[in-house]
Amino acid sequence: MITRRAAARLFAGSALAGAIGANGGAAFAADKVVKVGINLSFTGADAEDADRMKDGAVMAFEAANQANAVPGYKFDLVSFDDGTATAGQYDPAQAATNARKMVSDRGFVAAIGPQMSGAGKAMAPILSQGDLAIITPSSTNPDITNPKFAEQYDPSGKPIYFRTVTTDAYQGPNMANFMAEKLDVKTIYILDDSGAYGVGLADAFEAQAKKKGMQVAGRDRLDPKAADYTAVLTKIKSLNLQAIYYGGVAQAGVKLAKQAYDIVPKMIKAGGDGVYGASFLSGGGFPAVEGWYATVASPHLTGGDQRAEQFVEAFRGRFGMAPVDYSITSYDAALVIIDAVKRVAASGKPMNRDNVRNAIQTAKVPTIQGTVSFDKYGDLADRTVSVFQIKKDPKAPLDDATKQYAYVGVAPQS
Amino acid sequence: MTFTDLLLQQTINGLSLGAMYALLALGFTLVYGILELINFAHFNVFMVGSFIAMAVLQGFGLSGQDMILTGLPLVGVLAVAFVVTMFGCGVLGVVIERLSLRPLRNVKGPAAMITTIGVSYILFNIILLGYGADAKNYPNPMPTVRWHIGGAVLDMRVVLIWGVSLVLMLGLYYFVQRSRVGKAMRATAQDPEAARMMGVEVDRIIVMAFFLGSALAGAAGLIFGLYYNFTSFLIGFTAGLRAFTAAVLGGIGNVPGAMLGGIIIGLVEAMASQFIATAWADVIIFSILVLVLVFRPAGLLGRVAPSKS
Repeated sequence: MITRRAAARLFAGSALAGAIGANGGAAFAADKVVKVGINLSFTGADAEDADRMKDGAVMAFEAANQANAVPGYKFDLVSFDDGTATAGQYDPAQAATNARKMVSDRGFVAAIGPQMSGAGKAMAPILSQGDLAIITPSSTNPDITNPKFAEQYDPSGKPIYFRTVTTDAYQGPNMANFMAEKLDVKTIYILDDSGAYGVGLADAFEAQAKKKGMQVAGRDRLDPKAADYTAVLTKIKSLNLQAIYYGGVAQAGVKLAKQAYDIVPKMIKAGGDGVYGASFLSGGGFPAVEGWYATVASPHLTGGDQRAEQFVEAFRGRFGMAPVDYSITSYDAALVIIDAVKRVAASGKPMNRDNVRNAIQTAKVPTIQGTVSFDKYGDLADRTVSVFQIKKDPKAPLDDATKQYAYVGVAPQS
Repeated sequence: MTFTDLLLQQTINGLSLGAMYALLALGFTLVYGILELINFAHFNVFMVGSFIAMAVLQGFGLSGQDMILTGLPLVGVLAVAFVVTMFGCGVLGVVIERLSLRPLRNVKGPAAMITTIGVSYILFNIILLGYGADAKNYPNPMPTVRWHIGGAVLDMRVVLIWGVSLVLMLGLYYFVQRSRVGKAMRATAQDPEAARMMGVEVDRIIVMAFFLGSALAGAAGLIFGLYYNFTSFLIGFTAGLRAFTAAVLGGIGNVPGAMLGGIIIGLVEAMASQFIATAWADVIIFSILVLVLVFRPAGLLGRVAPSKS
């Protein structure tokens, strides 16, 4: 019930907001603000890619606000950082805290993120109970959207964890297919970085590698905070294998790349999307990272594609640096949210979390990577995994992922 | 690679790690021997050392591993880097002692130790804010020179680590055993009150211990960067904890004990990764520590601490 005094205050408040808006020049006095949270790992080993991913979303929302894409509504993107100094990378406890903050503020109708699956596992149950839909541009661990674990990650029963990338249930196995079929790898050693993403990816890879008849000579776990991996690499060297597959993110990845370059320079080295990006390039450095294979859990748009080209140019112009592929999935996630808010507004239903979530579930949004739609669990309908190999382009900045990762092709689906 | 080659290679790996741990362990031991204080700031003095050295190397125009130097320029650049880093870290250690520990000198209880944890986090956050959180590609002017011993490979960087560590450790040992200041340090370690009565300026000796220990941590920081071609604001904790374990294992306060402990921990880490799994290395290291302390509570070579009078 709204008392008269409260109503008066409300009115005065919106008049004030209107006045400020008028001074700003763009907003209508009656524009309602739709808050969208964005939770990435801005502190720690993956920070460089986090910035580039956020910038992708910023571009989409800025354009929407400028073009008045949803009449009567303005988007307000609010950042949350789940990285902590003590963890040196994402910290699940911080991610949970951020999820609680978003859930407790009814102004948030949707969110983007997280960057990391370990953070996603901590956030999903909280968001599920708060009925707040989140679209991740890069977290690929399949458990979060797997109906088998719904009790754990989706206790409310309605999917809230959507993705504009596919999962490691495809990323790992498809890369195993690629290595077996295209690179003719028969013997391999598998490493992970002890994180939720890394272990899951390495497990999925290992299962398919064995199915493909590869001999998995060993599996070991790296401590991402330790500095020395020479001992395990010496062991791998003594086994005379063709390849190493690494499931994990940049923190352990850059050290692994450097030491592997010294100890086993000739082996084929491959990883998932954890070794794709500016953080891996700048931390690992050339020549150590040269020749590494990486995958990205979304289709890659090759040179001919107009929209992708335009996006890369606009991104460079706006932020003065090159985007990564997950800047695009992040931009796409923002487009999905903008589209959902637009449809809720057009339908005349109240602008709340539940309606926005339902709109996201039924989305069919043309984005840079193609039309985005989700299956009933929230996973991306398109299951393309793209393979890249690092090939030094001395003319481009050495941490420019769009130039230093050469696109190899699509990893075969099994 | 035959089994013997493999064993030899892992011994080389382990000794390199061990040399670094030993250098770092000496800092814990020097301060503990005199003040009976576990100086947790030491963890991150080591980390700051690797960043000071990085700045020096960058000052010579080096970046990444693309620019290789040989002969006299290489020796010159490394010598300057070692001297500046060791001096810088030494001064940092002295400042930490002067500002945060001396005011607490006569406070009983764990206040001083907790303070060192706080200082450690301050250093950690200063570097985080100043340099960012991403891993740094370390400037390294050393050419890749390798010798093959059977199937094992000995890298010139490894020889440098051993050489520098050995020189520094022997230098410290000689200094503590033979020089006047060293004798005063040992006297203070045995009984600060009696030493004071004999005319030893205890405050100066404490400053000296902090300076030397921190300088060695600085050297370890530079060696770390050159060996791994990498540094980050995070490197202090894991290496520091292992080095502290090494100091306790060898007998805290005992200089040869710290060296022995460092070498043992390094070798155990390498062998554990070879024969068991990297994931178990910590479990094995700390199990050995517990076992040694159960049977020899004072560590392998016995502990040296000021007698309470």
